[in-house]
Amino acid sequence: MRWRYILNTVGVLTLFFGGTMLVPLIFDFFAGDVSLLPMVEAMGITLFCGAALVLLFRHEKTETISQREGMAIVALGWTAIGLFGSLPFYFSGPNFLFVDACFESISGFTTTGSSILTDIEGLSRGLLVWRSFIQWLGGMGIIVLSIAILPFLGVGGMQLYKAEVPSPVPDKLKPRIRDTAMILWKVYALFTVIETLLLVAGSMSFFDAINHAFTTLPTGGFSTKNASVAHFDSAYIDGVIIVFMLLAGINFSLHYQLLRGKPLALWRDSECRFFLAMCLILTLVVGFDIYRTVTPDVGQSLRFAAFQVVSIVTTTGYASADYELWPAMSQIILLLCMFMGASAGSTGGGMKCLRIMLCFKYSYKELFSMIHPRAVTRIKIGGKPVPEEVVRSVLGFLALYMALFAVATVVLAGIGVDFVTAIGAVAATIGNIGPGFGMVGPVENFAQIPYWGKWLLSWCMLLGRLEIYTLIILVVPEFWRK
Amino acid sequence: MKIVIIGAGEVGFHIASRLALESKDVVVVDCSSEALQRLTDSVDVQTVVGSGSSPSILDSAGIREAEIMLAVTDSDEVNLVACLVADTLAPATKKLARLRGADFEHYHESFKTNAPHIDTVINPDIEVVRTIERLMNVPGAVDVGDFADGRIKFVGIHLEAGSRLDGVRLADLGTVLQEDRPLIAAVVREDQLIVPTGRNHLRAGDLIYFICEEKDLISQLAIFEKQVTPVKRVLIVGGGRIGYRLARRLEEKSLACKLIEKRPERCDLLAERLDRTVVLRGDGSDQSLLIEENIPDMDLVVTLTGDEETNILASLLAKRLGAAKTITQIDKFSYFPLMSTIGIEQVVSPRLSAINSILQHIRRGKVLSAISIKGEAGEVMEALALPTSDIVSKPLKKISFPKGAMVAGIIRGETIIIPDGDSVIEPDDRIIIFATRTAVRGVENMLAVKLEYV
Repeated sequence: MRWRYILNTVGVLTLFFGGTMLVPLIFDFFAGDVSLLPMVEAMGITLFCGAALVLLFRHEKTETISQREGMAIVALGWTAIGLFGSLPFYFSGPNFLFVDACFESISGFTTTGSSILTDIEGLSRGLLVWRSFIQWLGGMGIIVLSIAILPFLGVGGMQLYKAEVPSPVPDKLKPRIRDTAMILWKVYALFTVIETLLLVAGSMSFFDAINHAFTTLPTGGFSTKNASVAHFDSAYIDGVIIVFMLLAGINFSLHYQLLRGKPLALWRDSECRFFLAMCLILTLVVGFDIYRTVTPDVGQSLRFAAFQVVSIVTTTGYASADYELWPAMSQIILLLCMFMGASAGSTGGGMKCLRIMLCFKYSYKELFSMIHPRAVTRIKIGGKPVPEEVVRSVLGFLALYMALFAVATVVLAGIGVDFVTAIGAVAATIGNIGPGFGMVGPVENFAQIPYWGKWLLSWCMLLGRLEIYTLIILVVPEFWRK
Repeated sequence: MKIVIIGAGEVGFHIASRLALESKDVVVVDCSSEALQRLTDSVDVQTVVGSGSSPSILDSAGIREAEIMLAVTDSDEVNLVACLVADTLAPATKKLARLRGADFEHYHESFKTNAPHIDTVINPDIEVVRTIERLMNVPGAVDVGDFADGRIKFVGIHLEAGSRLDGVRLADLGTVLQEDRPLIAAVVREDQLIVPTGRNHLRAGDLIYFICEEKDLISQLAIFEKQVTPVKRVLIVGGGRIGYRLARRLEEKSLACKLIEKRPERCDLLAERLDRTVVLRGDGSDQSLLIEENIPDMDLVVTLTGDEETNILASLLAKRLGAAKTITQIDKFSYFPLMSTIGIEQVVSPRLSAINSILQHIRRGKVLSAISIKGEAGEVMEALALPTSDIVSKPLKKISFPKGAMVAGIIRGETIIIPDGDSVIEPDDRIIIFATRTAVRGVENMLAVKLEYV
């Protein structure tokens, strides 16, 4: 472990991140807003700390970095960015305690969308943009962005990429990691622009439109309105957002193929088919359930069901209705959706459809070999055999995910949160969804969670975003042995 | 520039990592996902699992957009089929294949003009035998390369303790020697490659690379206190493909040659095919056999078995028993830095030879040949100075060369110029450039034609 190198790289990332603070500053400047000063202060401190790290830990150029070093850089980089990202909130006024500012910032970067704010509309425009913008940065990954833009990261880029965008079966679109990162960001930015335009066409103001686009594509879920998307109460806006949430929940390399003129790419991918089919089936089930009990109108119930199911499955976390008023079956389905999550390689969180599929196929394989003890079987996804070690690592991941969920729930309940809230809050943060159940439901927020509970949930969000391994490895003693 | 490499063995691995560092788009195809996994752990390339001879795999590797395809799997047949398939799918792609079978040797040309249209066939065995011959002729040299069709030699040599050059500053070299001073292109010290300036000192134990004309080689070697003793008696340990080929070459040169081979069937075959060579059945590391065959009188022992540990031991043993000189075949690159420590100086490697010949074919612009030196830390290139490139018609000191690169020689017609700051390269000169690995890309860009002239 070359600590100088690791800290130096974290410093460069911090510097880069400080530079991105210009975006909300520009918005602030044109709005002539009061949050200009806190934003400038935050940017100054971030740039200063980044420069200090870079200068203090100068390191000669290296050609390769190990997987361990890559994980350490990403884990520390994300922690640092989460902390520096909280500064604009912290400096904006006495309403923000440090823990709240951190919670809000980490919730943004990890594209969770859980908020401690009671009155979102009371924030200045600059801070609102900052909330949405950090989600946008975190969605495709700030390290992937820096790989695309900063040339020096190109060499060790693959290790960083693997640590930030973990996927059971990593795929590279282009021979060079830098080009791959560039393509992913271009597709991402293109979708953001299109969604903004479509939302503006639906009589949303430009400011609200770009903020919602900034938080839809990373499957983040921060809104500029207290009532989230329900505020607009428009079927058109719901429809646009549903489509873009679905797009964001699909593997971005499929979008690239789609844009290159292979329209069948989405359909040929079995994970994508599974994801879309699940969304459809669950929408119909939930729609029927609420049609029976809540809204006796077919169109309305399907609209609310579709929006909420897609919002939760893709781990976005917008709300267009208070699902806590829905029948128990719908609520349980939504809770389970929080665990499933979107596709691998998308900006969504959760366990990912691919892992769930592999897990079921593995279970079926076990059953099959009880019936045919001498059968030789291979697990296949989309007709291609999946290597044994991938299956093993997926099972390990699922076990770890459930174990961490269990531990965090118990600890949170121990801190003094009620039964439903504890389960809902942990599921919503570790899966990067946003709103949970109970005290933290879609019309409430996380302000009432006790002090240490907020830190715990912040950690859960980071765990979920970096898909457990990258972060949890830092607490494994073996990692630190020389 | 996109390059597809078939085969992630040692050759494929090293070519891929070299090219990826030079920011080329590299796609590697191999059947073994483990081998590809090892590759992507350290190298920024794209990988495709599957057989390189399959059209669909080649298609998904993007053969149609590729400029060059390198077929370097262990199997000649797979390489040939891969070239054939690529020829059908993407006729414009340049193809380069490694074919080791001796049977193919006489058909290289017809593969070029007919069906698979392989632009370059590489047989590392031939290259290795050539390298061995060059090393035989230049005593004390660790590394010998040819430029300008052999008229210019590029020689790597160890500076021994007690030499009068030990501790001399390069700027003072002329006054110390008072004769033709050698043009020193690079120095390797403690595994570090140094591009020397006038202020650098030479030290005992340095590996010095210098460039000279063929006719001056003997006198230049004398400066380094290496005497030329003609090789007359050679012992080859290991009668595989390379051993057999070398024995044949030595027979043509009427040198006395003995060959030790372990496998009885192979011995029979060798005895049938070779005329004057004495084929001995036995183990190269068998001391009594070596003494019995009068090893102290041998001018050269070449160890070429397929097992590098055996080669190293046999060479060390032969040296201890009094052989004048040894050449050892080693394929594991990680062993190279150890060799001078354990007292083995001259090393050949079919894989390194293959890499060298492949490299010179994929260099952009008009690079005529390229040789990598010591552990791939740098490269010496011979290139044609195109009239449109950045380097012609101005004094060398006015050209901003990338850091770590220098012009070591200019060949104009029959004359060879050892350049200084005021030398001017003229269009169509051939130039010899030395560059460290990081500078290679910059040098390539300088040599390449400017876009508006294309």
